[in-house]
Amino acid sequence: MTNVTPEDVQALIELFDAGDWDELHITLDDFQLHLNKDPAARRAWNGGERTVVDTPAASVATPAPVAVPAASATADATGSADYQVPDGMSVLKAPNLGTFYRSPKPGAAPYVEIGQKVDADSDVCLIEVMKLFTPVKAGVAGTIREILVSDAELVEFDRPLFVIEPDA
Amino acid sequence: MPIKRLLIANRGEIAVRIVRAAKAKGIETVLAVSAADRDSMAATEADRAVVIGPAAARDSYLNGDMLIHAALSTGCDAVHPGYGFLSERAAFAEKCENAGLNFVGPKAETIRLVGDKLAARALARSAGVPMVSGSEKVDTVDDALRIADGIGFPVITKASAGGGGRGMVVARSPEELRSSFDAASHEAKEAFGDGTLYLERFVERARHVEVQVVGDGKGNIVHFAERDCSLQRRYQKMVEEAPAAILSPALRNRVSQAAIDLLSPISYRNAGTVEFLYDEETEQFFFMEVNARIQVEHPVSEQICGIDLIQRQLDVACGEASELAQDDIIPAGHSIEVRIIAENPLDNFRPSPGRITNWSAPSGTGIRVDTAMASGVMVPPYYDSMIAKLIVTGRDRDDAVARLRDALDSFVIEGIATNIDLLRFISRHPDFIENRIDTRWAERVLLPEFLSDKGAP
Repeated sequence: MTNVTPEDVQALIELFDAGDWDELHITLDDFQLHLNKDPAARRAWNGGERTVVDTPAASVATPAPVAVPAASATADATGSADYQVPDGMSVLKAPNLGTFYRSPKPGAAPYVEIGQKVDADSDVCLIEVMKLFTPVKAGVAGTIREILVSDAELVEFDRPLFVIEPDA
Repeated sequence: MPIKRLLIANRGEIAVRIVRAAKAKGIETVLAVSAADRDSMAATEADRAVVIGPAAARDSYLNGDMLIHAALSTGCDAVHPGYGFLSERAAFAEKCENAGLNFVGPKAETIRLVGDKLAARALARSAGVPMVSGSEKVDTVDDALRIADGIGFPVITKASAGGGGRGMVVARSPEELRSSFDAASHEAKEAFGDGTLYLERFVERARHVEVQVVGDGKGNIVHFAERDCSLQRRYQKMVEEAPAAILSPALRNRVSQAAIDLLSPISYRNAGTVEFLYDEETEQFFFMEVNARIQVEHPVSEQICGIDLIQRQLDVACGEASELAQDDIIPAGHSIEVRIIAENPLDNFRPSPGRITNWSAPSGTGIRVDTAMASGVMVPPYYDSMIAKLIVTGRDRDDAVARLRDALDSFVIEGIATNIDLLRFISRHPDFIENRIDTRWAERVLLPEFLSDKGAP
């Protein structure tokens, strides 16, 4: 029905980024766009499951979402090393800066979903640096309880990615 | 097209300096930091900071791919490398170019050319810039002995691939050269991955004079007078001044023109420095090397010329027409910079990282302090231990020296050892006050006197 292209989204983001609006919502038949300059907003919206722009991993050439909060500091809710680990849980953190991908390739099923059992050497995501895709292992046997980062998002070093409940 | 958003791939005082220069030009800043620097002054002042990796430089500030990924992912269109780290790695500049990012530095091919000392010597030769009589690359001890005989002793070995004292050994006789050549080559190989050496005539009483230039990449190059950086310890600069008060006006013109003649043929782009060795006895100067980056000591040139060199770097990097004409650059006064370092001169200059419990920097007319430090800040052990640059400017050299003395006396740094006492000692030393120093004065005169003054063994 709607013909929103990645280029349209890109153009909207650039306009939004250059302007002085703080927030922008667009809802079409099968398309929703929510832009916000407040780094805290992404958690509040839609349960924190999505980032500002929810586009398939590889269909937008530039990883647009991270370009929006130009003025965010390093210490938002999940972006800092100060993240509070829930009791009894294990947190898997980003081994380096890069772009986070949940699936081995565009269109494929994610490596893991919430509730899924993993082994210590199960791959759970990819981190990309300049076209070099490195799988990240769970590091502990258990159950995925939370996924803290959205697909195709830039993650910084040490950023918490997954909450895993270790097997007893 | 002007730069809109700049990634800064560095830390410490130069990162703060670049953030501020970019902001003054209306450019947004993204600072790439290691985990050790996430709360640094530059990270706080930048529009955004991204943590790229752990503290170790090779996993953070030296990881070019990661820095470029961070730049692209945060919507930057340019990368400023500062000094050190990746600032003179041609491969990094090339990767930035290929990724569509403006590298705030020279073209990759220029970095490659001037970074190879032998190629740089060839450049100087074809530009008619005087050089210390020296050699092409020297492969064996026998070659070295034969060549040294032609140049005349004393000679100094130098590494083709880099500076900083590695691979440099002075030989005053064939015997000394025979015994030191292999060790020098080995040291160069260890430091730069390339053991190629060449030989130069060694000047016993030399001054280090360097010319600050900015080129627009289209063949226009202007200079911002020269600096005298003769006060060094093991080839590491301690005190830098502008202008070089020792030179006559005629010599000052000649050395500046030599720098321009050398870099014009390659249409040099970026701020840069051409270093010369100056022989006070014969009043001759000789080309040493080109540093294709902004340098630690750039503020003294800014102070006497009244310009911002980092802003000029940003202008020329994106091809904005240089508004600079040589006639508009009129140096005035005298400026001196001292490097304040977290190290203990009484304990063989051992680095002294740790938390600064009290920091009170001087301020006032003619005083500038470039730093990323404050009370309560940690000096991490992973990086270079320079914590501040104190820059004083006065009507003339005497005025600047007096101001330096006062400023150093009121500088308070507690919690870690620093070299401030040594700098205070320098500021009162008659040789320094009367400008009778050379590149080996610190080791020959200063340090023995300082240690005995402090009652150290």
